[in-house]
Amino acid sequence: MDTATTVRKYHKNQKKILTRTNIMLYLMIAVPLVLYYVFRYIPMPGVIIAFQQYSLSGFKYWVGVNNFNTIFSTYFFWEAFRNNWVFVGFGYFFVTPSPIIFALLINEIRVRWYKKSVQTVSTLPNFVTWVVIGGLFIQLLSPSTGYVNLVIKFFGGTPIFFMSRSALFPWLFTFMRIWKGVGYGAIIYLAALSGIDPQLYEASVIDGANKLKQVWHITLPGIRNTILVLIVLSFSHVLKGFFEPIFILKNPMNRSRSEILDTYIYTIGILQGKFNIATAVGLFKSLISMFLLFFANFMSKRFTEDGRSIL
Amino acid sequence: MLKRSTGEKVFNVFNIIGFFIFTCLMLLPIVFVLKQSLDIALAGTLNISLIPKKPSLVFYKMVVNEESVYRPFLNSVYITIVGTSSSILVNAIGAYTLSKRQLPGNKFMIYFLVIFPMLFGGGLIPTYLLMRALGFIDHFSALIVPGMASGWYMILIRNYYWSIPLSLAESARIDGAEEFTVFFRIILPLAKPVLSAIALFAGVGFWNTFMSAIIYMRDPKKYTFPVKLREMILLQNDNDQQRMEDMLQSMGLDPNKFFLTAEGLSSAMMIISMLPIVLVYPYLQKHFAAGIMVGSIKG
Repeated sequence: MDTATTVRKYHKNQKKILTRTNIMLYLMIAVPLVLYYVFRYIPMPGVIIAFQQYSLSGFKYWVGVNNFNTIFSTYFFWEAFRNNWVFVGFGYFFVTPSPIIFALLINEIRVRWYKKSVQTVSTLPNFVTWVVIGGLFIQLLSPSTGYVNLVIKFFGGTPIFFMSRSALFPWLFTFMRIWKGVGYGAIIYLAALSGIDPQLYEASVIDGANKLKQVWHITLPGIRNTILVLIVLSFSHVLKGFFEPIFILKNPMNRSRSEILDTYIYTIGILQGKFNIATAVGLFKSLISMFLLFFANFMSKRFTEDGRSIL
Repeated sequence: MLKRSTGEKVFNVFNIIGFFIFTCLMLLPIVFVLKQSLDIALAGTLNISLIPKKPSLVFYKMVVNEESVYRPFLNSVYITIVGTSSSILVNAIGAYTLSKRQLPGNKFMIYFLVIFPMLFGGGLIPTYLLMRALGFIDHFSALIVPGMASGWYMILIRNYYWSIPLSLAESARIDGAEEFTVFFRIILPLAKPVLSAIALFAGVGFWNTFMSAIIYMRDPKKYTFPVKLREMILLQNDNDQQRMEDMLQSMGLDPNKFFLTAEGLSSAMMIISMLPIVLVYPYLQKHFAAGIMVGSIKG
C-alpha cells in the first residue's frame, strides 16, 4: 500500500466529526475558547462607541466621525502621539542595538565564571515589574536623597531635578529600557553567535584578518538573520508595552514629554469618563498597529530566509 | 587555540574592566535602594557610602504591621497562586486539543486564539465596559480570569507535545485508553519541563499584575502590591511625614526615636517585590530559551 492510499484511508476515517474522541477533545479546549470569546471578542464591536456620543450613563446619539475631529484638533492628543513615536524611534536607535553590542562584547570574554555572573546580573531586571524599576530610578535620581545627586553634591555640584526636567525624559526612559532589557535581549544573539562555525575564524586569521574584520565579515553576517527576524517581529508591537513604565514615571513636570497614547486613553477614558473620545483614540491606535502588523508580515515573507509569515 | 596579538590582549583587559563597571552600574540602583530600606540615619547628608549608617529593620516591620501595606501583598500572593495554577491547567489541557492536527476545526482554533486577537482588539474602554457589566470591578476575577487562557502559551505547550513520541500514546490507545486518560496519564507527566517554564512565566506575570489592577481595582483593600508601591512612591514626593509618624505610633513605636522617610518604606517594598523573582531566578534561567520564544512572538 503506498502512502497516498494510507492518507486517503485515514481521511475517510476522520470524516465523521462528532466521534466520541473528538467530542472529548473539543471539551478539552472549551474553556480557552469561551474565555477568548468573552474577553477578546465581545469587546470588539465596542469600538462602535467611537462613533457615538457616549458617557457614563451610556449611549446618547450617533455623531459620525465627530469624535475623530475632536481628537485631531486636540493639542494633547498630538503631543501624546508625538511622544509615542519619539519613544519608538529612540527604541530602534538605542534599545534595539544594545543587546547586539552587549552580546558581541561579552562573547569575547573567555573567563567562564566572570561571563556568567555578568550575564546573571544583567538578565535579572527583565523579570522585575516596571513599577519597581521606575521606583528604583526615581529614588536613585531624587534631588534630595538620590545617590546620583549625593555624588554630585559631594563633588560640589548643584543637584539636578532629573525626573522633572521634561527635556531629559526621553533619554532617561531610554536608559532605563536598556538597563532593564539588555541582558535578556542578548541571550538570543549569544545563541546565534555560538552557532557560527569556528573554522571560519581560523581561516580568516590565516588570510590575515584582524578582529574588526572578523566581526564585520564573519560575526555580523552570522547573526544577520536573527537581527532581521527580531526587528521585523518588533514592528508588530511597536506601540505596545509603554503603559506601565510611563504610568509610573510620568509626573506633572515631565508630562509634556512623557504622555503617550495609552496613558492619554486612560486619563480621558477611565479618569474623566469621556468614553467615546477615549475609544476613538484607541481605535486610531489599533488601526496603526494593524497596518504595522501587515507591514511586518510582508517584510517577514520578503526578508527572512525561509520566507515565513508571522500571521 | 588561536594566538592573540598585543592589540587583542589590550582589548581584552579593557573589555573585562568595562564589564566590571557595567555590572556595578546594573547593581547600583538595587544596592542603593537596599541600603535605603535598611538605614534610618538622616538622609540627604553628604554621605555617599552604600553601607547603612544606622541599620534597622523598622521599614520591613512596617510592611508587616501596617494593614494598608500587607493586604496588597497578600492580594498579590493570592492572585499569583490562583492565577498561575488555573492558567497551567487550562492551557495544558487546551494545548492537547491544538496538538491534534487532524481534528476538524484545528486551523480555526489557531486563528480564533492567536491570529485574530493579534489583529483586532476592543481596546481599553470597551473591555472596561464589559468588566463593569460582568461586575468584575473591585473583584479579583478581573485580574485572573481574562489572563487565564493564553493562545501563545498553548502554542508553546503544543509544540512540546509534538516532540513526545507518538508511539507512547498509541500503545495506551491500543490498551483501550480514552483521550482523557492518554492525556492525564501519559502526555501530562512527560510535559513537566514546558509546564514548569510556563508556570514561571505566568507566575512572574501574575506577581507583577499592575495595569489591570490600576484600571479595575478602585477599593484600596483590593490593590495589588505593585499598585500600592506606586502609591507609596508618589506619596514620598508629598513628604508625608505625618503619615509615617501615625504608622509608627500605631505600631507602638516612638516617632521621636526614628528618622523615617517615605523613601525607606517604599524601598523596603521594592526589595520585597523583587525577592520572589530573585528566589525563582535560578529556575527561571533554565527556561530562558522558551521565554524568549514567548517574548519574541507575543511582545
